[in-house]
Amino acid sequence: MKQEQEKPKKFGMVIDLDKCTGCGACMVACMAENNVPFKENETNKLDSITWMRVYKLTNNKPFPMTEVCYLPRPCQHCEGLHTGHSPCVSVCPATATDYDMETGIVSQIYTRCFGCRYCMGACPYHARYFNWWDPVWPEGMEKMLSPNVSPRMRGVVEKCSFCFHRYQAAKDKAFYKETRAIAEDDYQTACTQACPAGAITFGDLDNKDHAVYKKKQDPNAFRLLERLGTNTKVYYLSRKEWVRKAGDNYLPGEGLQKPRRIHE
Amino acid sequence: MSTADDNEREVHGQETDADGGGHDSGTTVREGGGFVLLFFIIGFAASLVVGWLIFPNLLYSQKKQPFDFNHALHMGEVDNGCESCHFFREDGTYSGVPKLAQCVACHEDVQGDTQDETIFVEKYVSKKREVPWRVYSRQPDCVFFSHAAHVKMAKMDCVTCHGHIGESTSLPVYEENRLTGYSRDIEGHHLENLLCLKKNTADRMKMDDCAECHLEKTGRKTSVQTEKDGCFVCHK
Amino acid sequence: MKIDRRCFLSLGIGAAAGITLSPLPWKITDDLSIWTQNWPWTPVPPDGKTINKKSACQLCPGGCGIAVRRIDKRVVKIEGLKGHPVNDGGLCTLGLSAAQLLYSPFRIQAPVKKVNGKWRKISWDDALATITTKMTELREEGKAHTVAGIIGGERGTVSMLWQRLFKAYGSPNLMRNTSMEDAYSLVLQKTQGNRVLPGFDFENADFVLSFGSGLIDGWGSPVRMFRALGDMKNRQAKFVQVEPRLSNTAAKADQWLPIIPGTEALLALGLIHVILSESLYQVRFVEQHCEGFDNFKKMVLETYPPEQVAKATGIKVETIKELGREFARAKNPLAVCGRGQGLTPGSFQETAAVHVLNALTGNLGEKGGVLAMPAGPEYEEWPEVEPDDVAAEALQQKRLDGAGGDEFPDAGDLPTRLAQVINTGKGDGIQLLFISGANPVYTLPDTKAVQKALAAIPFKVSFATHMDESAEMADLILPNHCFLERYEDVPVAAGLTSPIVNLAVPVVKPMYNTKHVGDSIIAIAQALGDEIADAFSWENYKTCLKETLGDEKWEKLTEEGYWVDEEFKPVPWKEGFKSAATKFIFPDPARLNHPPVSASGDAKQFPLTLIACDSMRLAGGAVGSPPFLIKITPDSVLLKEDLVVEINPATAADLGLKEGAQAVLATPKGSGRVRVHLDHGIRPGLVAMARGLGHGAHDKYLAGKGLNTNAFIGPVDDPDSGYDAAWGISASLAKA
Repeated sequence: MKQEQEKPKKFGMVIDLDKCTGCGACMVACMAENNVPFKENETNKLDSITWMRVYKLTNNKPFPMTEVCYLPRPCQHCEGLHTGHSPCVSVCPATATDYDMETGIVSQIYTRCFGCRYCMGACPYHARYFNWWDPVWPEGMEKMLSPNVSPRMRGVVEKCSFCFHRYQAAKDKAFYKETRAIAEDDYQTACTQACPAGAITFGDLDNKDHAVYKKKQDPNAFRLLERLGTNTKVYYLSRKEWVRKAGDNYLPGEGLQKPRRIHE
Repeated sequence: MSTADDNEREVHGQETDADGGGHDSGTTVREGGGFVLLFFIIGFAASLVVGWLIFPNLLYSQKKQPFDFNHALHMGEVDNGCESCHFFREDGTYSGVPKLAQCVACHEDVQGDTQDETIFVEKYVSKKREVPWRVYSRQPDCVFFSHAAHVKMAKMDCVTCHGHIGESTSLPVYEENRLTGYSRDIEGHHLENLLCLKKNTADRMKMDDCAECHLEKTGRKTSVQTEKDGCFVCHK
Repeated sequence: MKIDRRCFLSLGIGAAAGITLSPLPWKITDDLSIWTQNWPWTPVPPDGKTINKKSACQLCPGGCGIAVRRIDKRVVKIEGLKGHPVNDGGLCTLGLSAAQLLYSPFRIQAPVKKVNGKWRKISWDDALATITTKMTELREEGKAHTVAGIIGGERGTVSMLWQRLFKAYGSPNLMRNTSMEDAYSLVLQKTQGNRVLPGFDFENADFVLSFGSGLIDGWGSPVRMFRALGDMKNRQAKFVQVEPRLSNTAAKADQWLPIIPGTEALLALGLIHVILSESLYQVRFVEQHCEGFDNFKKMVLETYPPEQVAKATGIKVETIKELGREFARAKNPLAVCGRGQGLTPGSFQETAAVHVLNALTGNLGEKGGVLAMPAGPEYEEWPEVEPDDVAAEALQQKRLDGAGGDEFPDAGDLPTRLAQVINTGKGDGIQLLFISGANPVYTLPDTKAVQKALAAIPFKVSFATHMDESAEMADLILPNHCFLERYEDVPVAAGLTSPIVNLAVPVVKPMYNTKHVGDSIIAIAQALGDEIADAFSWENYKTCLKETLGDEKWEKLTEEGYWVDEEFKPVPWKEGFKSAATKFIFPDPARLNHPPVSASGDAKQFPLTLIACDSMRLAGGAVGSPPFLIKITPDSVLLKEDLVVEINPATAADLGLKEGAQAVLATPKGSGRVRVHLDHGIRPGLVAMARGLGHGAHDKYLAGKGLNTNAFIGPVDDPDSGYDAAWGISASLAKA
């Protein structure tokens, strides 16, 4: 007996950069939610694990024409130009990272990973982090760890999962009521909820009733490194052209590229 | 001189031996062919015995539970079967093995006169310590198992995966894999389980078993890498 | 027939064949692969029942409601409380990492006494007895007034208990930390007649003009401000930021005016000039509801023409004129001040000028304007304290910090003056100092002077939760419960537009041998006996809290976590003011007509200007940043242990400094090694330094990293009020 099939979802985000204040609440909410460890010295940002990282962009103009914009960068959950051909999934020799067509989420199974870091090289967004050391929590602070996310060990790669455990929890809650229906509110990532400015919107990009569906069609929407064909599921909004241009590499004098709309 | 002679003879003798040896060896092969075969069979049989009978027993250490538990007795006392103690919480999560708080309502004082009861009340209830049960179905930390999906949605019985533990009057011995640290109940108690075969769903609960059943029952091939169900369906 | 090596070979081959056909190699391979995935030293968090508990954050005055996710008895995560009127589910970085404060190894786990420089655990009875003995002795010697206290906040029952203890015991020297609210409160008293707090209706304003306020860098109630500014973007309301540095707030503004620091008051007066000279003000307000307008107008028109102001502020005449017009013509304009997070009160001149700017547009008490908010929530009244003769006499003594005295009659508290007073040996020396909910050694300006002053006090008692800088200097610590372990009312002002009280509840049982500071105060008072004990008749803090809140509020608070005064309505200017004449009284022109407070220091030796800057990524106040905050601190602020200061590339070129170069930063108050970060978003000639680093105490994630702004910047007494009006200091930066 085959079970009834649900319509596949494509979870994604729309981040309004005009609203983002660069406060970092999304980063902390993510770390607290996902048992992300911390070290004594975290100033070398190359080995500082932050699934969500807020980058500071500037227009590079001298004082006083300088402008600054903050860009939060979770894993972009690339779909690739043919389904699932995400840069990291296609290079993983250990089946540790995978693309799920049911949700559009790129998964990472830590125990499966053997630390070759091909995926880190393949990821154009630096969204993947390697555990160079065993995580250590100061005595007593391991009490804060959430059982819903497996703590990682030395030698594996980790990254943002769109708080997949929250989807699991939402499904459990729905199943308990013997339904499969999960409302938009039932599954939201920790960063989305924590953002005090309301800059992040999360939902099913293919669902007309979800806020992200409309927002991604905004004329000011763009994605990062659009022309690589990574077909990411994180859209950004900004009214400022220099910000939209900062989302990709442009030759001098080249006009702003219209995004290729794959999720219509 | 004699020494020289002896030497000569010896040298000669050696030559003869060598010749004879060369000649003899042919006979040994022929004559020893039985031995070689016999030794092959001995080796073969012994290693089969080691591999099939001794090894599986050596692989597992036998661990005792803190004290014995009578499922059958408790089933007689409750109204709602397994779910009386192993229930779903309102958020859809599963409570699993009961915590002390659930037991104390009845077990504040010693009930009956078994030694297990005395251990329970004296060592755990009165000291407010949780019982460190060894859980036969314990999966690795990276596994997310949804009881709601299987029980509420797929309408599976408890016995399908857990067997008839609810009817038992005492707890089985907990066999722990010396290498992996997991219970033998996950890996299977029967010999055929060692070959990834099984008769009942409950016999074996490794990842391949989950994946196989998911493919069979849901038909989902949404994982791009494995063409089976997605990794995050059961991993966290 | 012989058994030879062939036989053994054969045995081996047989064995190998047999093994291959048995599960052994395959099972071992499989199990070994599973074994490699076992990392026994990686913790496996235990599962359990998830409970969400409502409580209130107390880490800043912002007043957010929190939802604490507990799994069994462990606090796993803290999130914003959905539906809460202040934050509705959002939360700032500090609140989100608060569980790290609860489980910090730097918690003080029992009462301790310093013996020969080392901490020794003592019993609660001994700890309390030590204090009461000391207090009784001092009273008997007629030195009750030499007992002083520095506490965190003015409102709420714990603060009320402190005030009551000091009144009943007989000491005027209880000091609270001050902020921009104090400067505002004074201006409101002078102009509108009652000492109230300001409320700012950002939610309805359509033009916001901020004089250096870090509206999204932690000013006021941080999460409310994030929400309000996000909402302004949706409404397309205009937002102009006046600030010498491109802070996050300036970056989000529609217009950034990089002013010369310290001249904000002049710009406000310049804008007033534009409004007055072009008659853009609200005529009915000026004609019917004001006093002293003509004198004020005369002063502004004479002294602050835009041309003059442009020279002083570095902002073009045209910009000033346009801004003045645009502001006055907006439907609901709103101007605010209080630099950065508003941790420094600021000058009377500046606050008054900004307030007059608001008043002239007729926004007082109006939609989108400045509201007069009650100074505290309405609580059940406590019976009046009747100080005994000793106390009554001691209360006649002048306050050490000079607040309310001849020099600064208008000020309420002046803790920033304390160090200077003690170090210059004025007044009777303090014999006993209580420090509660505050960390003066870290937060008061001019760290060296503060340390020296505290060292001169013979006995200091701290009620800290964590071993912070002030606790380290104390002689006795009576550790308070962490805020997640205790009941406490949290009245919120912070510029909100309706009076709100939150209730913090213990979400977990106290982990250590700590005691609620409220209970400590009650115990001390009761042990002191007689009239003092009579004033504290509560059984414990919880009953005191419950009685004070009253049944109705208590019920609502324990259920919802917050209580909003639904009946509160702002009084619009048309209905008159609280002053004797029910009018708005323009500030005395003499108090505005003088050069603004300047940065101290010799301009030749210190050619640059150092300013402190606030951000949401570091906790700049009494609470030390937990590890998560240090983790998200950018490498342009902290690099390994080095503080990174921000300078304009032009300044760097003058000084011969390159990105990341090591340098020595010096001011009249102190010096230290820093690295430089070049950024176009700062006025040339300025050096910006992040607040919140340079802790000497706390855990290894925080201690010894960077430098404390307070070690470089000293207080500057505002000549009009006495409040600290420092906005920076002269500095030099040289290649190391």
